[in-house]
Amino acid sequence: MKTKKIKFKFSWLAAYVFLIILTILMLYPILYVVLGSFKTNQELVMGGARLLPEVFILNNYIEAWELANFARYTLNSIFISSMVMIGILILSSMSGYCFARRDFPLKNFIYGMLIAFMFVNIGSVSLRPLFELSIRFNLHTSLWAVILISIGTAQATNIFLVRGYMNTLPKELDEAAAIDGCSFFGIYYRIILPLLKPVLATIALLSFRGAWNEYILPLVFTINNPDKRPLTVGVISLKNVSDGAAAWNIMFAGSTMSIVPIIILFLLTSRYFMSGMTVGAVKG
Amino acid sequence: MIALTSAKPKNSMKSAMRKDNLTVWLMLAPTLFLFLVVSVYPFLWIARYMFYDYNGFVEYYIGLDNFRRLLADKLFFKSIIHTLEYSFYKLITIIPLALIVSVLLNSKLKGKNFFRTVFFVPTVISAAVASLVFYFIYSPYNGILNGTLNALQITQAKIDWLGSANLVMLSIIFTAIWGGLGNYMVLFLAGLQSIPDSIYESSRIDGANRLQDFFYITIPMLRPVMKVILMLAITTALKDYQSIMVLTGGGPAGRSQVMFLYVYQLMFGNENAGGAVQIGYGATVGLASSLIIALITVIYLYLSKKMDD
Repeated sequence: MKTKKIKFKFSWLAAYVFLIILTILMLYPILYVVLGSFKTNQELVMGGARLLPEVFILNNYIEAWELANFARYTLNSIFISSMVMIGILILSSMSGYCFARRDFPLKNFIYGMLIAFMFVNIGSVSLRPLFELSIRFNLHTSLWAVILISIGTAQATNIFLVRGYMNTLPKELDEAAAIDGCSFFGIYYRIILPLLKPVLATIALLSFRGAWNEYILPLVFTINNPDKRPLTVGVISLKNVSDGAAAWNIMFAGSTMSIVPIIILFLLTSRYFMSGMTVGAVKG
Repeated sequence: MIALTSAKPKNSMKSAMRKDNLTVWLMLAPTLFLFLVVSVYPFLWIARYMFYDYNGFVEYYIGLDNFRRLLADKLFFKSIIHTLEYSFYKLITIIPLALIVSVLLNSKLKGKNFFRTVFFVPTVISAAVASLVFYFIYSPYNGILNGTLNALQITQAKIDWLGSANLVMLSIIFTAIWGGLGNYMVLFLAGLQSIPDSIYESSRIDGANRLQDFFYITIPMLRPVMKVILMLAITTALKDYQSIMVLTGGGPAGRSQVMFLYVYQLMFGNENAGGAVQIGYGATVGLASSLIIALITVIYLYLSKKMDD
């Protein structure tokens, strides 16, 4: 009996050692960049194994904010992410409602196409045609092209989520409202929308995160327009522009500005984040 | 709905339905518009430009020249090999690792919520910015990886993690595992939670130990979920190029060039893909790359179905 207990304890110990090593590996890069953003550029360029700054300075942030245009980048990131989030919430809830509660001509064909194109991903291939299209319609000087393309790319998954959630809401609700004289849109707006809150919260978080983290799409659309860059594009563009290690401190501060807000958002709402992942992926 | 409408006189029912149908189409209009523009239009566009030589300003119809070039393009074949290499090593590491982690975190371990949250954190931040951070970490002279190895007296060399042809894939794959582990952990956890506890309880009564539980209950019960997760992992890995773009841009000397990065560089011009903007040829390579991914997906689906029989 006693040996069994010791063996049991040993396996738990091994599990903890494994998990703690993994924890260190997962957190190390984040700690490195966050703590590094308070180091002087000299200290960063010196390298070494030290994680904590020798002298703790805030100057990198002031420099990034005032000289390196990061105030603009932050505003652009907030603008893009909020607009994409609002757009996806409106479109996915309206379309999900229509697909779930109404039969109309070509319904299954249209829905099938939406879902099919979700899987047929052509990666970087579609960037060029969309880029040229946005030039033709003069959208390339604003951020609207980025916003509309982001919404268009993400909508199918979210329509799928809303439709799935709608199927759990009893149809009697709609029917009762219709008897009371509520129109099709009125039922959506007054009855369904409030009931969709849980799934819409997940969609809001995931779409905000997606847009905040997007890199290649805004990179392409702001190539000739540095003032419109979001944080991701702004900070990574310094890597290619600066000679050698000249701007490491700015890049560390900029990376932290991009990473930390989204981590805080995640820590406050982790339940929605993780459940959203599984609904979207396993069933999608 | 049927109960309601049949109670009304037929005429008003019809007109109400017609009005509702108009509402439906109006509510779907923005979605359909964006779908046509963002998803369908690029396909038609590419179907046309495959037959053109186009640099963004002037275009010439060149028939099948792009396809002839594709068959002789060493860089494209290299990029296929690298894509497969990257996907293979990423998958054989990340899937077992995520499975082990999720099994541990599905048990009655103290602090499991803490670990779950920590392991998920890398997946919520921008993969591009995370790659930039790894670019700093891997830096031969100023990076903390070499700094740590030097301080621990493991080596005094200034290892060029991203500049050496032997190491670059390893460095990229490590970054990808760091960024993706949390996703697969959460997916496996969802699958594990669908296995009823009663099965484990009865196997305990039969005297099975934890290892036997894992191989004879957990793995077989996870098979349907595993199939979906693997499919997701395969298609994701084959399409990855953002992180490589930030870390190496395909270098050194094309050693980390993958299919969709090559397409991107052809479409927008980059010295790693010949320098000039070559949109027509980029469209051809893009189509070929998508077909390769589709083919691999179909083979996977066929094999996983055959294994079931």
